[in-house]
Amino acid sequence: MKPTMPLVTLLAGAALGVGVLVASMLSPSSTASASGYGATSAASATKAVKPAAASSASATAPATAPGTVPATAPGTVPATAPGTVPTATASVPKADVPPKADYVARTDSGGAAVAISVHAGKAVAYMCNGHAVAAWLKGTAKAGKLELTGKNGARLDVSYRTGKATGSIMADGTKYAFSAPLVHRGSSGHRPPGLYEATAMVHGVKIKAGWVVLPGGSQVGSVEYFADADVAPTAQAPVLDLTTGTARYDGVTLVASLISGFTGSGF
Amino acid sequence: MTAQPDALPPAPADVSLGIGKLIVPSLIGGLVALTLGVYGRLHHATGVVVNVAGFTSAGYVKSWLATVATVFAIVQVSSALVMYGKIPRVTAPSWIGRLHQWSGRIAFLLAVPVAVNCLYGLGFQTYSTRVLIHSLLGCAFFGAFAVKMLILPKRGLPGWTLPLAGAVVFTVLIGLWFTSAFWFFSTFGLHR
Repeated sequence: MKPTMPLVTLLAGAALGVGVLVASMLSPSSTASASGYGATSAASATKAVKPAAASSASATAPATAPGTVPATAPGTVPATAPGTVPTATASVPKADVPPKADYVARTDSGGAAVAISVHAGKAVAYMCNGHAVAAWLKGTAKAGKLELTGKNGARLDVSYRTGKATGSIMADGTKYAFSAPLVHRGSSGHRPPGLYEATAMVHGVKIKAGWVVLPGGSQVGSVEYFADADVAPTAQAPVLDLTTGTARYDGVTLVASLISGFTGSGF
Repeated sequence: MTAQPDALPPAPADVSLGIGKLIVPSLIGGLVALTLGVYGRLHHATGVVVNVAGFTSAGYVKSWLATVATVFAIVQVSSALVMYGKIPRVTAPSWIGRLHQWSGRIAFLLAVPVAVNCLYGLGFQTYSTRVLIHSLLGCAFFGAFAVKMLILPKRGLPGWTLPLAGAVVFTVLIGLWFTSAFWFFSTFGLHR
């Protein structure tokens, strides 16, 4: 072996490293998401606004229709949504499907918890296991049924009534079944059961924490790092203080906000 | 750089001369590890790494690259054991040296893109014990590898230096694999 060969190996590795680094920097996917971390990023902001504007245009119609139309003008319902509403009226009495509702529960297995909030035709759901699994999902609520989707193939299929929401959620390739009772708003000074979220910058990394607070005060929470990334590394969330609504994490105070279909906060 | 240790004043029959030859490579290795760690901490991590077609996510690309690198590293250590005559009843074949060199080179070159993706996409993070250990080992690996490569051509070193350097590099790599690919596969499932 020539004495220079190990040096050549080292330099080849260094050159390869620089090459991959440059390729990563030039890659359109990484530059687009790299700009997604700053609040001032123009590129990703316009990207995000476009689909949001497009979907809000289409979402406003169904959003107002199920909430208001059946109560005031039942005659117009078949005109706006001829495909879905008749089947709903056939299978589900309308009075049974609340326009605004919050559900929380532990999953039947897997040690996870799920929270679902429905508000005026839109729905948000969160599930986590307090460790590596967390998924945020959203979509529309139609005729007592929810079909919500999230990143990495996360999917929630639920039918909901005044009393409870039953169904399953698919996250990280695992299916979790659950039956979640409606959350009743307590009048105590504590934060009510439900879905809480907090986002923060910690050491230059955007994190997003979510907590499912269950009736009785127990909670399950996870923190996602690089919250905007396709695959966000996930870990256990710090305990959410239910009197202050805050949590301390790595020297940063997270201020949690309640996502509630009942009050519409967070929608 | 390589000529510098030879320029040290000769001290015949002195073991400290051999150990003295380790100073410059060790400093360079330390600098490599430190540079990677500081870059990983200061660089604004993007959270996204380039994906490769045919894989579910970049995490799987990295996990498989790391796994293949680890397999080559096992070949590397095994071939070293044969070369040093540590495996009973196995005599080193003539090609064992080449096997040793090339398995090491391939393992190293496979590990480089993984490391770049980690440092560029994720950075040096401390949010869990696993991640902290992985970040530390990742930086240490390339430092230790640089040390091993730099002391490899040197003559007159104590006999234990190269096996020690190789063992450190290998142990760190195994630690890296367990805190990354093993964790990833066991969390998200073993597939592409």
